[in-house]
Amino acid sequence: MKKFLLPVVCTLTLFSCSSETVKKTPPDNRLDKCTLRFSWWGGDDRHNATMKAITLWNARHPNIEIKAEYGGWDGWTEKINTQISGGSQPDVMQINYDWLVTLSSDGKGFYDLNELQHFLDLSGFSDDILSFGTVNNHLNAIPVSLTGRGFFYNSAVFDKLGVSFPETWDELLKTGNIFYQNGCYPLDLDVQSGGTAWYLSVVYVQQKTGRNFINMDGSLGFSIEDIEEAMEFYKLMEDNHVTRNVRTRIDEDGNGALYQSPSFIDGNVAGVLEWNSAVGKYESVLDKGVLKAGGYLGDGNGNNSGWFVKPSLMYAISAETQYPDESAEFINFLLNDDDCAEILGTSRGIPASSYAFEVLENNGKLKGLTKENADMLNNLDTVTISPYMETSRMKELCNSAIEKVSYGEDISITAQELYNDIIEYLESVE
Amino acid sequence: MKKYKNPVGVSRFTGLILISPFVIGSVLFIIYPFFCSFVTGMTKYDGIHPPEFIGLTNYKNMLQDKHFLKALGVTFKYTIIFVPLKLTVSLLTAVLLSANIKGMGFFRTAFYIPSILGSNLAVAIMWQYLFTRGGLVNQILEIFGVSGVSWYGDRKLSLFIIILLRLWEFGSTMIIFLTALKDIPREYYEASKVDGCSPVRAFFSITLPLIKNTLFVNAVLQTISALQEFSAPYMITGGNPMKSTYTVGMLIYDEMFSYHNAGYANAVSWVLFVLTSAVVCIMFRITGRIRKELP
Amino acid sequence: MKKFITYLILILMALIMLYPLLWLLGASFKSNQEIYSSVWFLPENFDFNVYFNAWKTNTGYTMGHYFINTFTVIIPKTVFSVVSSVLTAYGFARFDFPLKKFFFTLLMVGMFMPAIVTIMPMYIFWNGLDLLDSYAPLTVPSLFACEGMFVFILIQFFKGLPKELDEASRLDGCGTIRTLIYVLLPCMKPAVISIAVFNFLWTMNDFINPLIFINSTEKYTLSLALRTSVDSTGQGYEECKIIAMSVIGLIPSVTVFALAQKKFIGITAGGLS
Repeated sequence: MKKFLLPVVCTLTLFSCSSETVKKTPPDNRLDKCTLRFSWWGGDDRHNATMKAITLWNARHPNIEIKAEYGGWDGWTEKINTQISGGSQPDVMQINYDWLVTLSSDGKGFYDLNELQHFLDLSGFSDDILSFGTVNNHLNAIPVSLTGRGFFYNSAVFDKLGVSFPETWDELLKTGNIFYQNGCYPLDLDVQSGGTAWYLSVVYVQQKTGRNFINMDGSLGFSIEDIEEAMEFYKLMEDNHVTRNVRTRIDEDGNGALYQSPSFIDGNVAGVLEWNSAVGKYESVLDKGVLKAGGYLGDGNGNNSGWFVKPSLMYAISAETQYPDESAEFINFLLNDDDCAEILGTSRGIPASSYAFEVLENNGKLKGLTKENADMLNNLDTVTISPYMETSRMKELCNSAIEKVSYGEDISITAQELYNDIIEYLESVE
Repeated sequence: MKKYKNPVGVSRFTGLILISPFVIGSVLFIIYPFFCSFVTGMTKYDGIHPPEFIGLTNYKNMLQDKHFLKALGVTFKYTIIFVPLKLTVSLLTAVLLSANIKGMGFFRTAFYIPSILGSNLAVAIMWQYLFTRGGLVNQILEIFGVSGVSWYGDRKLSLFIIILLRLWEFGSTMIIFLTALKDIPREYYEASKVDGCSPVRAFFSITLPLIKNTLFVNAVLQTISALQEFSAPYMITGGNPMKSTYTVGMLIYDEMFSYHNAGYANAVSWVLFVLTSAVVCIMFRITGRIRKELP
Repeated sequence: MKKFITYLILILMALIMLYPLLWLLGASFKSNQEIYSSVWFLPENFDFNVYFNAWKTNTGYTMGHYFINTFTVIIPKTVFSVVSSVLTAYGFARFDFPLKKFFFTLLMVGMFMPAIVTIMPMYIFWNGLDLLDSYAPLTVPSLFACEGMFVFILIQFFKGLPKELDEASRLDGCGTIRTLIYVLLPCMKPAVISIAVFNFLWTMNDFINPLIFINSTEKYTLSLALRTSVDSTGQGYEECKIIAMSVIGLIPSVTVFALAQKKFIGITAGGLS
């Protein structure tokens, strides 16, 4: 029976096997003539900027042609997963933070960039930033930019009600009640793709206890009591009308995103907790200049820790590539080159590379809500989101738990279940 | 030796030669992927690391997986409500559209538009405008004194907006009925008119018996696609609220691509596969006498 | 009176069916803010430049290019699929042969498995043949009559034709294939056309297969090109342009259907009128 199954299992593993048998060529200073495949997802701005950058690269490196493979976000994970399973992924990839866990939990899913330092200049990145991309001592990926969720409010509604943006948790609860008397809500929290309901509750507990929800190494930092407290705080926010409960939210907005809902556009929901790198879509559906960045909430006694940052996008090199040196040289160009930085601008967020950052800062290209929020984050004592918190499974577990709480299920039982589910999940990915 | 019932002078291999493309294709595109899927279903496989053989563990886990059991319930509930409704709606519309009146071409095209739109952005947005709390449907219900129905948020109602979406896309089923209705000789209806039959009676005594095979084909096809339903709830509700619209098809997709559990996803697919086979087999059995023999 | 009621029902239904299309047309002239705040289809103002820009796209290729790609897939696929499905259905419906039950079961069973679990094995298969990023994975499978659904429908229609037709044709000296082409197929035109139309429309809308198998932008089909600019994780995009593209993209499907619909039903049609 075992022999019978062997061929199929081998087909399935054929490509992952082959990586171990093919010897990587030792680095030499002359780069080979080759074609590199580079893949990314994004919108028009990113596509156009990147294609221009590639044109510049091709002019400078006639030997190394870049073949661009790009598309929208829908289905992109599916595509890359299939490519990697089949062993035919591009040489250079733009990846998402949680892919470090799902595609490289042992650090071997991507090329170890530490080995490619003669081509890849890492001096523009702080050790902290590089640690985001390090799995199991392998530098798997380099953050292109960092981001965090910030508060963005519809200032017209706040002005009309004569309320200023909340600065502390207590003020947030009070704001909720004031808004409620006027038939609206100051903030939107969701249990769908954004998962901000859980995110904000976690930050509250992190700030209060100093413990992290999930540590960078993938261990659970919260106790059952912490999880329960986060849930209770969420319930408190609902009870004080900071946000609509889950049922009201989907009754009013359906399954769409907040920026696609009349509730937000008409000002019935006047705030959102969103990645500063994605706030543009909320800005564009309100009148110009109406959406403003609010401050990060603290306890009122000077403690405003616990807020998250994460790499918004990263570059990685395929573990299977035949051209690691050339790929490294290309990433170096994308991250550090002055001309390239100018072309790419903020199409992938505010650059994490200090070289690229300087270029954009000098050109005055860094402005707007994204920058405003990023500056606020810079002045905080932030917590790095563990990539384990960003995986779809983890988000699903937490979102479902909050949904249950909102639908009235018992908090301590739900907390216990979530705790068990998380432990089980974290063990399974180790 | 077995006797093959063929016309005189036709070899028993003629049929085999005719279906030879399928014979080759079935090995490449049915047997091979099914076999891979079956083997993967007995492994722990994340798509990255080499698969690890774990026997029937995935199947055992399924029995304790409350999401899976819930999704299975949702899927069957959906299928049982949806298939009869869809057949009724598309058959009645087909009968309506087979009438010879002016402008029929326009109506036929119009009625097929929803099926062409598929998962176009407009569809999700339309549904939002229709079924949210202040939506059009609730405004109409208000006239009749029913107010504030919670279509999206109520766990008992959410499945219905998905059923309605799929009913709205009845075009292809209707077309298959239309092509069958075309073959009914007009004289039958004229004769029945002379005998004083009402149109309703004519429908039951002429139309229905003559298209029973097509009805069966549509019933089978709709059952299969309902049991695999995935894109409508994905687009309209995302499986919410409280997993009340989360189907087995969505679970397979999530396990496969979002949770990197290809082993489990394949095992679940096999369970769905076996259940579908059982359902279709029963459909073939109980209708065997009524419809003309299929091969 | 009866006619009036029929028309009333038809017009009401058509309105429900057509409204989203109308809305799409209107939405292509709207700002994001307008699109999401009102269900009313008329935009505040019209600027036909959006269609000009949509046709140009931002991908470096015009929509014309993606149309050609799409048809390069659809036309062979539809032809392959119709020919192979008709032959297979004919074999199943009219002949008896060894392993018939087995193959019919296989045909049915092929429809029971969720398509996504076959993606990975097929990807490995096409990768092994070095045919990724080509149209082969999208078209070649249709040569082998593996769309069980089409064959199943056709078998049904073959069964509906009286066997006397075949017998008469054979007495006239026609062989197996000539009987099919000259006697049976003319009677099955509506069914064959509906299979071809379904094939066309579904391939037009297919997203997952091109997504997985095609890598180069210059080879993208329309369904892929439509989503190339959509980045729901980013700073947002102008919805109207995507909508305008999708409106242009609907034209072939609607045209094909409008042209084909006459064939589904002929003058002999019966009904309740």
